[in-house]
Amino acid sequence: MKEGLFLVQKLSAHPDSRCWFVAWSPSGTLLASCGGDKAIRIWGREGDSWVCKNVLQDGHQRTVRKLAWSPCGNYLASASFDATTCIWKKKNDDFESLTVLEGHENEVKCVAWAPSGNLLATCSRDKSVWVWEVDEEDEYECVTVVNSHTQDVKHVVWHPSQELLASASYDNNICIYKEEDDDWECRATLKGHTSTVWSLCFDAAGQRIASCSDDRTVKIWKEYPGERELSWKCVCTLSGYHGRTVYDIDWCCLTGYLATACGDDTVRVFKEEQTTDPDQPVFSLAAKATKAHSQDVNCISWNPKEAGLLASCSDDGEIAIWSFHEGN
Amino acid sequence: MASQFSGVLQLTDLDDFITPSQECVKPVKVEKKQGGSVAKIQIEDDGSYVQINQDGGKKKLEKAKITLNDCLACSGCITSAESVLITQQSHEELLKVLQNNKTSGTEKKVVVVSVSPQSRASLAAHYDLSSTEAGRRLTSFFKGLGVHHVFDTSFSRTFSLLESQREFVERFQRKEQDNKSLPMMTSACPGWICYAEKTHGEFILPYISTTRSPQQMMGSLVKGYFVEQQGLSPQQIYHVAVMPCFDKKLEASRSDFYMNKEETREVDCVITSGEVQKMLEEKNVSLSNMEPAPLDTIHAGSGSGGYLHHVFTYAARHLFGEEVKELTYKILRNKDFQEVTLEKDGVVLLCFASTYGFRNIQNLVQKLKRGKSPYHFVEVMACPSGCLNGGGQVKPSPGQNPKELLRKVEELYKAERSLLPEDDSRVAELYQSWLHSVGEERARELLHTGYHTVEKMTNGLVMKW
Repeated sequence: MKEGLFLVQKLSAHPDSRCWFVAWSPSGTLLASCGGDKAIRIWGREGDSWVCKNVLQDGHQRTVRKLAWSPCGNYLASASFDATTCIWKKKNDDFESLTVLEGHENEVKCVAWAPSGNLLATCSRDKSVWVWEVDEEDEYECVTVVNSHTQDVKHVVWHPSQELLASASYDNNICIYKEEDDDWECRATLKGHTSTVWSLCFDAAGQRIASCSDDRTVKIWKEYPGERELSWKCVCTLSGYHGRTVYDIDWCCLTGYLATACGDDTVRVFKEEQTTDPDQPVFSLAAKATKAHSQDVNCISWNPKEAGLLASCSDDGEIAIWSFHEGN
Repeated sequence: MASQFSGVLQLTDLDDFITPSQECVKPVKVEKKQGGSVAKIQIEDDGSYVQINQDGGKKKLEKAKITLNDCLACSGCITSAESVLITQQSHEELLKVLQNNKTSGTEKKVVVVSVSPQSRASLAAHYDLSSTEAGRRLTSFFKGLGVHHVFDTSFSRTFSLLESQREFVERFQRKEQDNKSLPMMTSACPGWICYAEKTHGEFILPYISTTRSPQQMMGSLVKGYFVEQQGLSPQQIYHVAVMPCFDKKLEASRSDFYMNKEETREVDCVITSGEVQKMLEEKNVSLSNMEPAPLDTIHAGSGSGGYLHHVFTYAARHLFGEEVKELTYKILRNKDFQEVTLEKDGVVLLCFASTYGFRNIQNLVQKLKRGKSPYHFVEVMACPSGCLNGGGQVKPSPGQNPKELLRKVEELYKAERSLLPEDDSRVAELYQSWLHSVGEERARELLHTGYHTVEKMTNGLVMKW
């Protein structure tokens, strides 16, 4: 089969608005989207096409910026510019608003669930990163508030298996946090990007981080186990590929392909070359879909169960579902 | 420069930078004067503005000034606060006043310094002394600089504790009629107060104890009681408080603590433990080889033990006739969230908590909002580990572990034997006789304060995309 990105379907997800983010459920059967219309939509497959199954409204007063499924797939968390994070519980085929997490001073930019499902992280324009703990009764309590960034925090993401948290900020840095004596501390600050870091993700093993930035590059960071301090070094910079800000990046946990969402309306897929030196990985462009959307591509996400299935969304309010095929 | 305010205050946008595209949006009050018609304004060579009337007369125009208090009352950016603070409340200011006393023939001020026990403990840890010893040597240092009186704020804290006990019992007794009387939340931490006023306003303020903090109680005592004893007027005294915390500077500049008639603040200047250490270093002296001198206090020994402890034992006795010898603290989520209960026949009579640090304050506020707070009383502090860990304390020496330093400061602080406030007979007597002599209404003014919601500004100018 020919190598490349093939459009499966376009969905007018948040018409007359922006579609900010899409998130696959852990089983890969549902796709959640959110946007400037304050709504969350849940999409499922019927036959060959994806259709809207649910619309979650009235949870937020302003733009819903990001979403996160709990690892069990029964909860969905939504981060909004109204300064709150809403937790939705899945009941049969419906979702009900379970609780609203308040505390951030202003816009919540991102939310992420730890692999155990007991911890939730949020970040905000108020420069802080919060970790919340949830008990058996679905009660949420704030475990920590960390102020390690000096500007708006754009994204938070958990390590795939450990309780290790990473955040990306408008201050151009990435911070890595760990619990220490019943509180959380920033244990490493990754400096290298020369403008806003918009997003980041771990690889399947959790040994590397890929970050993307307004400086139009993608950087790969590798962990070098140290005594006490966590040590991460930039081992690769992908520059020259992206024409504008790179807004999102996703590392496929099944295939190892890296996909990016860019302000030049293009979706790109990068492949890691077979090299002998793990300290000098090489990535090459495997495929790209120019004019993937008519405006900025905000988000990119690999389906966690079906290799090659990719979703992107854009300022044009649409979701695009892609199928990526490797060359033979 | 990293902000020195407590983390809680930083979260209230207090340290937001005014970015180049933004300007201070605080409206400046303009005194409209009668009779003015048309005039020209001219900028002089020195940058001052001069108004030239039609008749040719010149008048220098006043500069609009943003004070720390304006910043506090504003929900916009407050960045400049830190620099305003540095010019208005610093050890340099104190040195300026002392210098002026030496050089100027008139306008001399009586300089009073009130030192908090937490600051003494911090300096004691730095110089390897006991807290009491550090206090004595600090006294001699300040007096050498020309300070007239050096007090210990543990004295005013006793006042604060006695008044809090009274306030709690009174609130407990009206809890059936007033659903906002409990939990009573302590008010000694200015970081917490500023946060509550800026972000939770009307919802949270009624719960907050109106009893003044030890610092502002000291303000009352110095400029209300001590002045009379000395036959002085309040503005003749320059009152400096030495505190473990930067936020205390904001507290001192609240308009509630400005004596309008006398045109003076109850506490003129707050300097931190760290700034005192800086003063010592600038003068090339070490507390270790300073001759000790006795403190001027009507000092009574108390200085440790928090609000929770004293209000709990007092309330147990006065409300339920129970003598509590020792309090059992139950650690909840973390060491900065603890609970103490009084039970009788399986019924919880009193449930108190201490919540330190922002994360715990957050959980407390959320519990309250959801109607899930079981508490009658909560001791709230913005800093993790409380005031001994305040942002104004002496910083660890190079190579010193901050956690170990904190442990040392805590030990030194606790090593000072403390009396129960109600057993502190001299202070108790003064408290009684003073209250009696000034009358109920005036006593309320002197011992209590109020809080004000800061309205959120929805002005487009403060919008950030």
